[in-house]
Amino acid sequence: MMEVMRACGVFLLYAVTAIFAENAVFGRAMGVSRLVKLVDDSTVDTLTFGGLMCLIQLISAPLAYLVNGWIQPYSWRSAVRPLAFLLCSTVAFFIVLALVLFLLKDKARQILAVLPMATFNTAVLGMMLITTTQSFTLLQTMGFALGSGIGYLAAVLVVTEGDRKLKNGMVPASFRGLPITLIYIGILALAIYGFTGHRISIG
Amino acid sequence: MNVKKAMYLSENMEQIARRDRIWLNNPVIMQGMGLAPLIIAATTGRNALMLSVAVLLLLTPTRVVAALLSRKGQYKFRALLYCGTSSVLYIGVYFILKSIFDVEILQLGVYLPLLVVEPLIIKRYERPQPEKIVVALRKGVRTSIGYVVVLMLMGCLREILASASLFGAPIKQMAFAPLPLANLPAGGFILLGVVCALWRGAVKAYKKHVHMEAKRGL
Repeated sequence: MMEVMRACGVFLLYAVTAIFAENAVFGRAMGVSRLVKLVDDSTVDTLTFGGLMCLIQLISAPLAYLVNGWIQPYSWRSAVRPLAFLLCSTVAFFIVLALVLFLLKDKARQILAVLPMATFNTAVLGMMLITTTQSFTLLQTMGFALGSGIGYLAAVLVVTEGDRKLKNGMVPASFRGLPITLIYIGILALAIYGFTGHRISIG
Repeated sequence: MNVKKAMYLSENMEQIARRDRIWLNNPVIMQGMGLAPLIIAATTGRNALMLSVAVLLLLTPTRVVAALLSRKGQYKFRALLYCGTSSVLYIGVYFILKSIFDVEILQLGVYLPLLVVEPLIIKRYERPQPEKIVVALRKGVRTSIGYVVVLMLMGCLREILASASLFGAPIKQMAFAPLPLANLPAGGFILLGVVCALWRGAVKAYKKHVHMEAKRGL
């Protein structure tokens, strides 16, 4: 029983860390290019995008963990890691594709339009690279993958809400749009930096 | 400005701006692409230089090869094609970078391999019509140059502000680092936001000036 509780604790700790202290957007700027597009794009449903990304991360994370174990002994591992992890994302992509086609027949078309964006982005590949280069265990990897997806979704929602309020006449013309969004994300990142009190490494 | 030139620029401004990926329609400043490496990894001139070489070696070849391959592939799986191409090409790019910069590339952390899925490199897959090879080559080169310009500008600016040095050499005229925050992700976001605003303001002023000159000629 203690072992199960300890495992749950580790999982939750890594998930919470990925949501707040090591947020993909505010701490590592992963998926920011996609985020600034999502904020302005009314055709893409944020919750659908975030949900798909969480699912992709949860499926591809254990695959990346296994693949990394295979390539770890070789000196050329750093060169092939992106290709290997991309294959993991591709497997996740086809699993989610099959699930969507099987379960959500009516909404499938709408969801499938978002699926490539939710699969092939810096947030998903970044999560796999971080968990493997920092030698996380499988449990830590799964917790971090879930937290990373939720953290990204939370960041999109926070920035969307902020962006709505920033669309007013008080903002100078040159700062409207992308510049003020970047400054806003920067201030939020600064708040998280103040909260965690340490500098997040780029490794 | 020459009135004749101003009239030509004014009449064709939209078309010129669409083609120009360096100044008027820079991929970072106007479209917000390639932000992750720019904000986190480009903290020094040297890091920016390494990223620039990687982008120069990766962007155009990926776009050209993917344009060639996507002629026969299905649109639904084009994202996979673009990412697959860039990650295969990355293997060669990694070894080239390692031979030039040796262990220094480790300073870029995960932001070097992340380039393979960076929207700056793969975003073209989102458009349904396949791209012509010549167009892919031309746009690839222009986009690469535009990105490298911002990358170098940000890398050097952040190094000067955060450590009062440039390419590792201390600047004697600067007694202290004026903005140590520039080295952090938060500083990267804020500084890029300010650079974006200034750049966009300058582009707007340039366009206004061209139109005014053209009107005066008429």
